[in-house]
Formats: sequence, structure tokens, C-alpha cells
Amino acid sequence: MYGGGNTFEGIKTDSLAQEDPIKLAEFEARIERGEKIEPTDWMPQLYRKQLIRMIEQHAHSEIIGALPEGTWITRAPGFKRKLSLMAKVQDEVGHGQLLYSAAETLGKSREEMINDLISGKSKYSNIFNYPAFTWADSCFISWLVDAGAIVNQLANAKGSYGPYCRALDRICAEESFHLKYGHHCVIYLATGTKKQREMFQEALNRWWAPMMHFFGPSDKISAHTEVLMKWKVKMSSNDDMRNQFLDMYVPKIWELGFTIPDPNLKKNTETGRWEYTEPDWEEFKRVINGDGPCNKERLEVRRIAEERGRWVREALKAPKAAYVTPLA
Amino acid sequence: MNMNSLDPRVNRLPVIGKPGQIEPKATLDQFGTFEVFVQPKEGKPFQHEGIVHAPNLEMAFVLAKEAFTRRFMCVSIYVVDTRHVYTSPMTEGNTSVFEFIHETPAQPGEKISYEIYQLVKRGKQHVHAGTVQAVTPQEAMSEAKKVFNTDKVIYNLWAIRTRDIRFTKPEEQELWLTLPEKKFRDASAYKAGDKLTEFLDKQKNQKFYGN
Amino acid sequence: MNELALKELLYKMADDQLILGHRNSEWTGFGPLLEEDIAFSSMAQDKIGQSYALYSILHALGEQEPDTIAFTRHADQFHNCILTELPNGEYDFSLIRHFLYDTAEIIRFEMLTQSSYKPLAELAVKVRAELRYHTLHANTWVKQLGSATEESISRLQHSLEYALPYALGIFEESPYEKELVAEGIFGGEQALKEKWKTKVEEVISQTQLQLPDWKTMQPIFGGRKGKHSEHLQPLLDEMSEVFNIDPTAEW
Repeated sequence: MYGGGNTFEGIKTDSLAQEDPIKLAEFEARIERGEKIEPTDWMPQLYRKQLIRMIEQHAHSEIIGALPEGTWITRAPGFKRKLSLMAKVQDEVGHGQLLYSAAETLGKSREEMINDLISGKSKYSNIFNYPAFTWADSCFISWLVDAGAIVNQLANAKGSYGPYCRALDRICAEESFHLKYGHHCVIYLATGTKKQREMFQEALNRWWAPMMHFFGPSDKISAHTEVLMKWKVKMSSNDDMRNQFLDMYVPKIWELGFTIPDPNLKKNTETGRWEYTEPDWEEFKRVINGDGPCNKERLEVRRIAEERGRWVREALKAPKAAYVTPLA
Repeated sequence: MNMNSLDPRVNRLPVIGKPGQIEPKATLDQFGTFEVFVQPKEGKPFQHEGIVHAPNLEMAFVLAKEAFTRRFMCVSIYVVDTRHVYTSPMTEGNTSVFEFIHETPAQPGEKISYEIYQLVKRGKQHVHAGTVQAVTPQEAMSEAKKVFNTDKVIYNLWAIRTRDIRFTKPEEQELWLTLPEKKFRDASAYKAGDKLTEFLDKQKNQKFYGN
Repeated sequence: MNELALKELLYKMADDQLILGHRNSEWTGFGPLLEEDIAFSSMAQDKIGQSYALYSILHALGEQEPDTIAFTRHADQFHNCILTELPNGEYDFSLIRHFLYDTAEIIRFEMLTQSSYKPLAELAVKVRAELRYHTLHANTWVKQLGSATEESISRLQHSLEYALPYALGIFEESPYEKELVAEGIFGGEQALKEKWKTKVEEVISQTQLQLPDWKTMQPIFGGRKGKHSEHLQPLLDEMSEVFNIDPTAEW
């Protein structure tokens, strides 16, 4: 799961001047026609670079995203919840695997990407830097963070790069269970005991701000993102995705009788758009740059997992196997 | 380790290396690349699903099974080293790949079987078209043109020597026996509509009676 | 049918699967490579599912609900073998345990497909199918790592020597062995153990690992009678932490 708010690199549009204008025109015409770009097709360097960056961030978000919910795997209450949560967290790892593979078709190897994750060079979705204090937090993540991710992923699945779209189609199909499972858990908390309701209200209070950050800062359409929109790398503006999420899920949260901790949250019936207190983008920046409650732990856990697995991978390295870029 | 995590599993992790100090992953420690093909139903063709990294064909098979067939329908899978997949050029628009595949003169040597995969829509997966006999991959493509060239536009062809494939063995067919029963991986298993309706009705009644 | 004997058998199998499934689930997200992380998690899910199915048979025989059985008992009421409750350690131990345990399990469920108790025989066909993958996975990995580098061989060797006495604890006999065999419910722990030894030898002989002499091994028993290591109760406390916030609540 992933929420957009991608941090795109500053784009120097003059880098396009070095590209072959005929090939560039053909490339753009193909995207315009709605055709997918495949790994063996010609593509501008800038396209390749931004896609690697985006898919890689998405992949990292999956494997780091497995951690906050993983917090509750061993404690999930009852057989059904335990099986579901195990399968869900496993899916996140599986989605990481699919996405790394898609990014690899662009020429960056998985280990390079994981190195960049652990060293902090490459980012992942900010929301996973927050802790899951109780079982209810894990329910919030399963329902609403996944819901947000699906809004983003459904948009991206209509993008231009074939391998990424195919991975996303599969991911969205798999995640439909995540969303239902999460909603199911929350309905049980909402209709359960006083204690259960309180647990979810508290989780909601904790997670609302990160959830609003999830789609990234308000993006003013500039020359920079314009080219990414044209190439169908970026499919929807952050604000549009946030609005879509609010439209779909705020009524469902209210329906269950919970209070969303933003007194200004309401739908403007004239514009059809949601109004809300402007999220604290300073906090967003601070957390994304490493100063969140769990950044250190998340990366440390990933580092330890890699270190513990090192002897296994060393032992398996076969002289005959050779890494090659995947085909599709 | 001393992270004081909310996750009891994290608190049990061993101390290893130095916190915050990164030993980079060794170059290419994720081994070779293997392509995974899945048959969703008896009688349906195999289709390309993705890749796994593995040190060899057998491990690739073992790892591919759960990476790609832990849900939906599956009756069989196979894997092949990416280097053993011969690919044609990729075409677009109304240009069929067969326009670029020329008849190969008869080759000396023993004919062996090749699995042919074709791409019928850009952006979709390669799907198994059938098997041909040929001496070389080039000849296999040329044979494929004779057998599979219809009026449909095909954008890309793959040819894989059958003997390079790790198939599902007959005694392994039961690996997917219980897959349809794993409902917890399926959205349809999470119905709470009744509970919700009951709750909402209660709320409404409470409001109505001012209770 | 001797119901006491049957229930005893079902309890120990279900408890084994539950506890080992729980242990294996601790690897989710921490695996040595992504593909293996996924595979290990699936097998953990299978085990949890198998324990649920066995507790459901017990429930049909008049025992409590699966959730109640699994999440509210104290350690001394559990009949799992100690092997399953040991902490995961490093991947070498988790792998060796998985190999030793699942090699026994697939033979056990193969035997149970012939059980005179129909619900169990029917379930055994399904469980065997799942275990087919578990053993394919375990054998492939043990053969790989057991013949690779000096480090991998020595790690596996060490884990093997440590785990074997516990693994023999799988076959700790029930007070009802005779009845189970006589009534055709289950062929018995002794028969299972012999077949298991042969299979373990067969796989280990394809590696550079050394199997110690069976005669020198002292089985570690107790689990089947509710006498556990210090590791089980903390595991159970953790497992039921949320459940215990309010055991009457629906989660």
C-alpha cells in the first residue's frame, strides 16, 4: 500500500533537449494513444529516472508498511483475525516483491534499491513512521490506510508503464480483501463494547493527521509535474486523491458514530470538495526527513533483517545463476 | 536489541551489526532471474505472471509457488531462467510481429520442442500459444509464424525450449488442492453488513426515542 | 470409538500446529529474502488453518469453541511437543525445525488418511496436500544450505544437533497408543518415528550435514503431558493479549 505524495526530483526540462526529437514525439504519441510503454521500448532518460524513483518508493512503502501492522501479528485476537492479518502483511511483502521486479525492468537492481532504502537515500510513505499502539491502530491501517493506497494505486494503474501497471492490477485485486478485512474489524470494534469503541476512537485521533499527510502536500500544477502528467507517470494530483478519499470514507467513519478530530472538516456542497484544516506540512517534512516517531526503528528493523539474511544469501549465491533484467 | 518497540517480535530481534551503520547488500545477492508462468484453470493456457529471484531453477519453482499462486485460481505453474527466454522485437499499432519474422531455412540438427508465448495486447501478459518443433529459437519463431499467424495483430513473441522449464510434477498437482478454501484471502469472506445495519437501526431508534 | 484417545490425539496435533504456526508467523516481514518471507508466511498460515480445522473437529465432539480452546488455556493444558514452542532463533534453526517437524507431519497425515475416524481421514487428505509444499520447501532449502558455504553448513549442523532431541519429542507416546492403533484411528507414534527417521536420513544424506547416531540421542519429552519449557507461557500470553482485554467481546 502506498499513498502517493511522491517526492519527485526537481526536473530540469532542458534535459529533454538532449533527447532525439523524433523518438520523443513517437514516445509521446504512443502514450497519447493510451498504449503502454514496455521495457524494450525507447524512453526518455527523465521518464526512466522518475519512474524508477516512484516505483522504488512504492516498493519500499510495501516492505516498511509490513512493520506497523506486523506489530499485531502475534497478538491478533482469535483465529480469523490472526489468519487475515498474517495474509495481509504477507501481501505487503509480496507487493514489495512485485514492485521491485517492475522497477528492475528499468535497470536498477533490487539490492541497489534496498541499499538506498536502508541508507536513507530513498524514501517510503511517511505514514509508516507512526506507531501502532493498540490493536485498533492496526485496524485503522488495514481499513483506511489501505483505502488511501487503493485510491492512489487505481489511479496509477492507468499509467503508461506496462510492468508497473500489471503489478498494480495484481496488487489492487489482492488489496480488495485488505480493505474489506479492515472495515470488518472496525465494524466489530464500533458495534462492540465501550472499551472497543474507545480503542478505535483513540486510534482515529492518532492517525488522522498522518492520514491527511498521506497523499502529499498540495501540488500546484507546475511545468515540473506537467510533463509527468503528460507522460502518465503521475496520474492524479495529491489534492484530488485526498478529496476522493475523504469523499469515500468520511461518511463511512461518521456512520459508525466516530468523531474525526478536525472541527473544520466538511463537504462544500457548492464545489463538491472537502474543506479541512490545512495539515501541518512542517511536521510532514520533518518526519519524511527522518525525525518521526518510528523512522529509526523501521530502518533498523529492515537493516537487521538484511543482516540476518546475509549468510543465507551468500550461501545461495550460485556461480551459474546470473542476474538479468526481467523481461516484462 | 534495545529498540523498546511496540512490536514484541522486534524486541526479540538479535543485536547484529552496528545500529544505523549500513553494510551494503552485496552486489547481486538476489541471484538469477526466473520467469513465472501460471495456469489458472484446467484447459486454460499458461500465462506469464512475473519473476522471482532464485539461485537455481528448483528454488525458483519453490519460491514462485507462494509468490504468485497463494490466491485466486491455479492448477499448475512453471518457471524458466530468464536467459532461456528468446524474445522477438516489440511492435506497435497495426504492425504484427510476424512481419519481422522471416522464414528460416531448414536447419541441420535435431528438432526439439519450444513453447511459444505471444502478446496480443500491449500492456497485457504474454499468453501461451502452443508448442512447435525446431532446431533453433529462430526456427521456432518462424514455425510459430506458420502455425499461429492469424489476422490478429501479435506484438511480441517468446520462445522457450521445453526442456529448460521446471514444470509442476504430477505428484505436485495437489499443491493447490486447498487454495479455493483459503477464504481469508478473499474479500467475500468479510461481510459485516448485518452487524452494521443492526447497529445503525439501533442508533436511529435511540435518536427517535430520545434515549 | 475411544473418544478420550481420539481427543488426546486431536489436541496434541492441533496444539502443535497452532504453536508452530505462531512461531513461524514471527518471521513475516523479517525473512532472509522477500520470496522466502512470503513462502514462510504461507506455511505459517497453513498451520494456523490446520489447527483451526482440528479444533473444529474437537468442538464437534463436544469441546469448546476453537477460539476459546486456543486463546484461553494455560501452558500446562497444551499438548504440543516442546520443539514447536522453542524461540525462532536464526533462520538456520527455524529451517531445521520446519524440516524435522514437517517431515514427521506429512507422514502422520499420510497415515491418517486411512483413519477409521472419517472426519479426520477426510481432513488428512487436505492437510497432506498442503504439507506436500511444506516438505518440498524444507527439503529444497536444507539440500541447498546443507551443501553450500562453510558457514551455512556449520549453522545447519549446529541447529540439527540442537533440534534433534526435541524432534524426537514429537513421538512422545500417548497413554492411548494401543487403543488408537487397535481401533485404526492412528497407526501410532512408534511406526511414525521409524518412517520419519528413514526420510530424515534420506534428505540429510544428500547434503554435507552429519546425522548423529540415533542411539546417542536422548529424546526430550514432556510437551505431550503439559510439561513445557519456559518459552510457552510467554508465547500464550502474547497470543491472547488482545483477546484478554475482554474475552467476551467479539473482535
